[in-house]
Amino acid sequence: MSSPEDVLRLKQLKESKALQTAWDEWTQTRQLLDNTAPLLDDPDPTMRSLAVDEYTSLTSTLTQFLESTFPSLLVPPSTTSHLSALMEMKSGVGGSESSLFLGDLLRMYQRLANVNRWKAQVVAQNDNDGGGTKDAIIEIKGDGAYDALRFESGVHRVQRVPATESSGRVHTSTVSIVVLPLVEETDTQAEELFSMSDIKLEVMRARGAGGQHVNKTESAVRLTHIPTGITVSMQDERSQHQNRRRAFQVLRSRLLDKKLTREMEERRDTRRNLVRGADRSEKIRTYNFVQERVTDHRIGLTLMNLSSVLEGDGIQDFIDAVKKDHADSILEDMLDVD
Amino acid sequence: MNSRLLARLAISLGRNQASQELRWMNHAISRGHTNLSLEDMVARRALGEPLQYILGTYHMTLLLSFLTLATGSQPFGPLNLLTRPPVLIPRPETEHWVLNLAESLSPAAQNPISLLDLGTGSGCIPLLLCHLWPPGSVHACGVDISPHAMRLATDNAALCGIPQNASAISPQNTFKATFANFLADHFPVGGLRTALPFDVITSNPPYIPWEEYINLPRSVSDYEDPKALFGGPTGLEFYHAIARFLCRKGVLSPNALVALEVGREQAEKVEQVVLSTGLFRHTEIWLDPWGKQRTVIARM
Repeated sequence: MSSPEDVLRLKQLKESKALQTAWDEWTQTRQLLDNTAPLLDDPDPTMRSLAVDEYTSLTSTLTQFLESTFPSLLVPPSTTSHLSALMEMKSGVGGSESSLFLGDLLRMYQRLANVNRWKAQVVAQNDNDGGGTKDAIIEIKGDGAYDALRFESGVHRVQRVPATESSGRVHTSTVSIVVLPLVEETDTQAEELFSMSDIKLEVMRARGAGGQHVNKTESAVRLTHIPTGITVSMQDERSQHQNRRRAFQVLRSRLLDKKLTREMEERRDTRRNLVRGADRSEKIRTYNFVQERVTDHRIGLTLMNLSSVLEGDGIQDFIDAVKKDHADSILEDMLDVD
Repeated sequence: MNSRLLARLAISLGRNQASQELRWMNHAISRGHTNLSLEDMVARRALGEPLQYILGTYHMTLLLSFLTLATGSQPFGPLNLLTRPPVLIPRPETEHWVLNLAESLSPAAQNPISLLDLGTGSGCIPLLLCHLWPPGSVHACGVDISPHAMRLATDNAALCGIPQNASAISPQNTFKATFANFLADHFPVGGLRTALPFDVITSNPPYIPWEEYINLPRSVSDYEDPKALFGGPTGLEFYHAIARFLCRKGVLSPNALVALEVGREQAEKVEQVVLSTGLFRHTEIWLDPWGKQRTVIARM
């Protein structure tokens, strides 16, 4: 049996492994360089020339270490790397076309989850009568899910000729996404984010006499967190008990998100941080069907891979690029300080 | 097709409820809980049949022997129970107070308690308690006069993995459904006698009075067992019978607790009935999630 201390120690070991590997490779290369140096004066010209080649290549490896490997290790390890994600999607401008696009994005993220071996489950979904989905909440469980997806928060814009449009005119519609950290109920290390006395729990509909008089399923619940005014409504499950559990889960995620944002802002105040993505009304990406392109406005990246993004795993390229940009900006920021 | 079915359901249920129920039906079909088509489900629901009898169940494939019977399901706390006409469908009000009761008592395997549920129906009350309390901490009996209820409660116990008898190897909670009329003078009889005295007695007895019974929604009165609903002319008949039973010697253990679900505006009357036995020092009335007085709790 492993004790909590063991788990903590193992975690620490795992986190410092990258550091150890880099250092080992660096010292090894230095050693080789030291061994090569005397050969530069070797009487044998063939040997000398070999040594020069070797020396040049080793020096460039060491430069590489100094210029990129070591700096990247300076980026503090993410404190949220173990968290799963809760993604809330809402259709925006564009009416039913926006709802149809929300359906496309939902499938895109479900595929992404599959590729990354995360477990994706739709926990709430409101469909439009005319097809498409008005809004949805999807739970994506697995290590690193939150860190990978958190930069998907923002407004996603689609430009295409809607299936319903007969005149062939290109429409612009939007879907807004908020990605929250997911707190597992079983996570005992997680601190309590609220106290029960701050919660108002309401059942949604009048039920007449209730009890034996009524057998209609009325399971919708609404939670209000009084200090923050956050409300969560949940009606997807047939069980009130389940809906309550789900609502509390969403509430916990929203509160943890608030806390993380606050901590980030505090850090930003102490060092002139450039961390972006806090503004969720910002347009982050455009999916343009006519030009078969996807553009991420934050990093100015355009790829002509729209079908691969919406029907394959092309979205991964964007997620990796934004993640790298984030790491770079943290690093730049650290170097900027005095 | 969906919009036509939605419109059909919306006539009786209203638009919101209809689209919600249609989605649950689609789920049940896509998960293979049922052999019915969406069309069939909507037709039955539109005639007033309770959704819980129509939806099928998660466990459909496991329970081959039940396939010939119409079977549905209803979540009850973390459990997913079978429902089968005409046995009363577990209600969310009941779920709520049973979850509270589970929290307010903490029996332990060192000193297991004996529990009796009067008019057990689907077995929902004792089964949820058996599920939530630690293994070996409770031995529960449920009685009912309906053979349908008896069979359903027994099936539900099997489904929840609650055995009838404790094994010698590891501590387990147990549940046994017994056919009996708890209104009869000679109750309890037979095997139940060995379970005496009881530490906890629970009941959701029939409590609907006559003038309310005739105005019940059809999905209740046409499909659920009148014997589980109709509480006599005043609706209080069964509480009087339960009070007489509690007074009998050897029924209650010294620190027993009694929990009785009640109907509209009955809580204070039932509280009086219970107090008039002179057995209890303390009573309280619990509210349901809709703010209605729903459960009378009496402690000795």
